[in-house]
Amino acid sequence: MNKIKWTILTFAILFSIGSAFATRPRANFGSLYYWTGSGYALAGTEGMNYVCETSSNVCTYTYSGGVYTPYQTSSNYTPLGITAEPTKPAPKTEKK
Amino acid sequence: MSKKQVTLECICALLILLFLYASISKFLDFKTFIDQMNNQPLPNSWTPFLVWSIPLLEIAISITLLFEYTRLLGLYASLVLMVIFTLYTGIVLLHFFHYIPCSCGGVIRNLTWSQHLTLNLFYIAILVLGIILQHQQRKSFKPNYINNKHSLV
Repeated sequence: MNKIKWTILTFAILFSIGSAFATRPRANFGSLYYWTGSGYALAGTEGMNYVCETSSNVCTYTYSGGVYTPYQTSSNYTPLGITAEPTKPAPKTEKK
Repeated sequence: MSKKQVTLECICALLILLFLYASISKFLDFKTFIDQMNNQPLPNSWTPFLVWSIPLLEIAISITLLFEYTRLLGLYASLVLMVIFTLYTGIVLLHFFHYIPCSCGGVIRNLTWSQHLTLNLFYIAILVLGIILQHQQRKSFKPNYINNKHSLV
């Protein structure tokens, strides 16, 4: 009984450790970028400067060798603090 | 080894697989994990506490699931943790927060929030089964000293 038990549990332990190492990110990315609509800009710190909201877009990219590669997919870059629609400026009144 | 015992071992193995994988993945890419925690719609002041407590708790639960004496405690702790994760996933899906954060992390980053919820519910179901089986096993378990008490005299 103990033999079967420890065979199953040892397999689970080894498989989980192996999977964690196998799926870890290979590269150490220095900075992340986001698509502004016309170009790429530094994303800043996640949670401080921006958040990635769920969507079908790409939130952030990595940059290497002149190529921007999607990093955080299935999400949308949302800068913090300016998520609400900007209010319209008050109309100027002419002084007479 | 009965079918029930094998089922219980498989349930514990699945839980260890999930918790150990999740915790080691977090430690292997700790900076990303901190960023992801900051990305969640929770106060950022909680991040230093959560980034250590969650993976350490997952490892502790995995250890308790290995041994017979601590297994029931581990199963209940797993259930509490999975219920908390599921409630959080449900709250996110119900648009309780002002935005829906990305569900990025480890190989599970490919799952959507709905798929996360399905996975969590599956784990809750097998956890309930595991707790029932563990209770049954404890009831049927008779320690050797009870059977051999006359030999001790």
